[in-house]
This record gives sequence, C-alpha cells and structure tokens, in this order.
Amino acid sequence: MTHTVARTPNRVVEIPSIARVEGEGALHLKLSGSRILDLRLEIYEPPRFFESFLVGRRYDEVPDIVPRICGICPVAYQMSAVHGIERLFETDVPAGTRELRRLLYCGEWIESHMLHVHLLAAPDYLGCESAITMAATEREALERGLAIKRLGNDLMAAIGGREIHPVSPRVGGFSKAPATRELRSFLPRLEEALSRTEEVAAWVAGFDPPAFARPAELVGLWHPDEYPMNEGAVRSTQGREFPAERFEDVVEELHVPHSNALHARFRDGGTFGGGSYVVGPLARVNLNADTLTPVARALATRLGLTVPQADPFWSTAARVVETALAVEEAIRLIRDYEQPAPPAADVRPRAGRATWVTEAPRGILYHRYDLDDEGIVREARIVPPTSQNLRHMEDDLRAFLPSALDRDDDELGRLAEMIVRTYDPCISCATHFLTLEVQRT
Amino acid sequence: MAMRRVRVIGCGSPDGADDAAGLLAARAAARRLAGVPGMEVVEAGPAIRVLDLLAGVDAVVAVDAVRTRGGARPPGRLVRVDGDADVLGRALPGTASSHGVGLADVVRLGAALGFAPQVVFVGVEAGRVGAGAGLSAEVRRALPALVSMVEAEALSLSEEVRR
Repeated sequence: MTHTVARTPNRVVEIPSIARVEGEGALHLKLSGSRILDLRLEIYEPPRFFESFLVGRRYDEVPDIVPRICGICPVAYQMSAVHGIERLFETDVPAGTRELRRLLYCGEWIESHMLHVHLLAAPDYLGCESAITMAATEREALERGLAIKRLGNDLMAAIGGREIHPVSPRVGGFSKAPATRELRSFLPRLEEALSRTEEVAAWVAGFDPPAFARPAELVGLWHPDEYPMNEGAVRSTQGREFPAERFEDVVEELHVPHSNALHARFRDGGTFGGGSYVVGPLARVNLNADTLTPVARALATRLGLTVPQADPFWSTAARVVETALAVEEAIRLIRDYEQPAPPAADVRPRAGRATWVTEAPRGILYHRYDLDDEGIVREARIVPPTSQNLRHMEDDLRAFLPSALDRDDDELGRLAEMIVRTYDPCISCATHFLTLEVQRT
Repeated sequence: MAMRRVRVIGCGSPDGADDAAGLLAARAAARRLAGVPGMEVVEAGPAIRVLDLLAGVDAVVAVDAVRTRGGARPPGRLVRVDGDADVLGRALPGTASSHGVGLADVVRLGAALGFAPQVVFVGVEAGRVGAGAGLSAEVRRALPALVSMVEAEALSLSEEVRR
C-alpha cells in the first residue's frame, strides 16, 4: 500500500493497490477539508471476457469453461450454469445429484470463508500488517484455520475430480460420482473441524471491528426448508422477492467511467436510494436465520451476531457461522449419501433462455444463457457477486470516511481498505501477475 | 544420497494471455519428469493455492509469468530466483500480484508456519496481459526454454544431497 499525499489545497489519498483483496483494486480519494470531492474504487475485471468466449460453445462445454473465471470459487460458476441449463432442458437429474452438489458447494464455502477470515480479514482486526506478521503471534489460530480450509479443498477435490477447476460436474449430473466409502472417510475430519469452528468463533469474538451502522438492502437466496446454496428465490431484507428469470428486470448493470467492471443496481433505485445493495454471507444470515444449523446458530449467539444486522463489519462473524453450517451440512449429507447411479441423466437440448442464481461464497451469482435448439450458446450474461457489491462499497466509503478524516493518511487508507476487504471482493480472479524488481549487485 | 521430494508448481491463469505460461510449462514438464521418484508436478492456479503445496516436500520449483516493474526486461526473457523467503521477497514484491497474496508472501507465510522447503522460482517475462488473448509470440518462443529450465531445476533439486 503506497499513499500519494498532496496536502494543499486539497488532500488526495491514493491507494494504488488494495492489499489482501482477491484481485487488483485501486481507490482514489480526493478530499477538501472534511468534504469528499471525489471517490473512485477502480477495479479491473476481466471475467467479462468469458461472456463473449462462451458464445458459440455447446451447452456441455459451459461447465468446463466457467470455473476458469475464478480460482477461488469455481464451483459457484459451475453450479449456476448447470442448474440453469438443466431447468431449460427439463432434465431429470439422478437421485442423489442435488445432495452431492450441495456437498460440493459446502467444500467451497469452507475453503473460501476460512481463507478470508484467517488470511485476509484477521490481520485487519488484530492490528497486523499481513497474515505473515500475524503468524508470529497467532500461529496456532492460523494453523487451525488453514487446516479447516484444507478440508474444504479436499472435499472439492474428492467430488469435483480436482480442486482447482473441478471437472466432474456436468449438465445432467456428474461425469463420475465418488464412492460412498470415499466420502465416509471424511467424517472424522469433519467432526473434528466442527469442534474447531467453535475455537475459531472464540478467536473471532475477540476481534474489535469498528461499528458502522447505515441502512442497507441486503439480498440473497431464501429457501423455506434449508439454508440456501443451489436454489431458492431471490429476496431482500426490505421485502423484495423475485425468481432468477426476473433478475435482469430487477437489476441493471452500468458501465461507470472509472472502472472496467460493471456496477449492478436495482432499476427502481432500491429502498435507500442509488440502487445499491449488498450480497454475501451477512445477507444470507439475515434472510435465513431460521434455517441455520444447530452449531452455526450457537456460534452466531456466541459471536453476538443477531439479525437484522447490516453493519458490513459483521461479515467476518457471518463467515464463521456459515463455515460451521457448511461442516454440519457436509456431515449430514455424507451420512445420508447414496452414490447416484448412473451419475448423470441423458440430456436433450432445446432452444430457450437458461437462468439461475446460486449462492457463491461472496454472494449471489446470476447466469443467463440463450441457447439455440442444438444447445449452442448465442448469448451469455454472468453477474458475479463482486459487481453487485461494488456500488455499495463505494457508498460505504463515502459514508464512513468523513468520520475518520482526522486520521493520518496511513490510518485513513487502512480503514478504507478494511471496508473494501470485509466484502471479500473477488476483483479479477482471471489475472494474476507478479511484479519483478530487478536487483543488480 | 537420499532422493528428495520435489514439487513443481505451475502458477497462472489459463485464460490470462501470457499468464498461462507457468501452467503450460508445468504441464509440459510433467510429461518429461514422469516416473522420477519423489517428483510431483501440480498446476496451482492462483498463488494463494501454493501455500498448501509447500508442506510435505523438501524443495519446490515454482514457475510463473512475471512483469518487471518499469518494463526493464523484454518479453520472453527467462528469470531464475533461488533463495529463502527474503531473497524471493526482494525479487518478487507481492503486493502488485492479484489474489492479495503474491508468491513471495506465500513462501514467507509458509516459513512462518513452519514449512520451508527450498524454493527455486523460474519465470518468464510477460508481454501481452489480460483475459482472452493467447500467448504473445515472444513468450511462445520462450516456452520450450522455460520448460527445459523447469525440468533441469527439478532434476537438480531431486538429486541434491539432503542438507
């Protein structure tokens, strides 16, 4: 993090690279006294490329292409795609497919949440510059968190065929379903992880995040019988409800001049103006507190997380709660598991519009595919959770920073980064570059 | 002479133009290194994935595309960095990497957590960046040499006497 400072006549704070964000981001902030003249969260979002890359591909190639958009949450991309296409094709997937997909998603939630809580968020709340400096004092906590994360990775690899870009999910089911015995072998590790999530909660309960209360419309899936991952209606904390097929009627994506990522917003302006809304773990807990599993519910109590709660700094607690939920669900799903046979149903393509929303670790992920009668993609639209949160992140910064303008630039920058990071933005999972500094002796 | 456990780790993104070079090099090296005892080749994707892969081995060859600050190196130029986390950290400052945590950070974090294999970094200077494009001509031409370098480093680490 480097700050460029120009104190007179106006103060300019530039954070050219936001550390510990999944991707690359930059924040430009221009202040005059206690007034914000300009605030721009600049991000680089290459996944847009995939929407055109998908055009001309057949439906069965889609689950192999979309997980490449994100190295951290590939399952989310596969799940929104296969469910949408199967609904259009009216495919009857084999018994057990739904449960196996939920189990796969549990692995991704565990992995992504534990990564964020331990390596990205915790240093903010413990006053450490990074996870590396934090490791000196919090080694046991880090090792515990990374062990739980590893379990999530291993579940993804066992079900998905490999963990980076899972290969087994396909339209119609799975190309190969894991054997019952293989999944059962995870039970002792999952039981241990569940008890360790209580230790994680005790650790996170000791964090001291800033309080930041501001009205917000939180949006996520809602399901009457279970905590939603793969299916449900889209709901908001302000009483909005709509199905996936109406997503683009309700939400529009805007080009903003300072960013090559699109900003999503409610077409009707939203409840609190400006159209911005929030997706992610805190939104899910708000909307689905009734279907939290027992340990998850107990951890929410222990952490002091009660709903309604719109303060974005509670997202870390929500991630811990959802990790326990994903572990509990994984235990239940594995105990009841029956290997789908055959692993996939026959698929008959048909022309039409496939839409679906699932809950990626970072929030709802919308996919739309317009297919012709051979199942060739004619148009694709992908609205990732980060582009839905971007506008709200900027609004948060505008609301929060004026109260902190008496801080020096380093501290102001640190607070701004904390706000951005608590949304766990996945800004450009498709690019990653090392910068090399040449040293000659 | 004890055979050491060596892991070759390809980093990068398959659709990131020259950023795919590390993955492609690892894939090609895997074919050549197949059957070498104690040798494993993996494609890790983002650098944060490398953390899990530092455990359980004596040495790691990490291969990735790099961008020199200020563009001091021509695209296609090969780079080798051999040393501990601090040396790697000086050569590969992490904050400009996406995924928050760069490779040097990951190696340093691994060391702080008690797994510190010898790490040799092999890289190629990227020309074209951004999603969707294929490899640049310069990086494509450099790829066979990059693969040979990965292979040579991996074999040399594998045969080195355990320190």
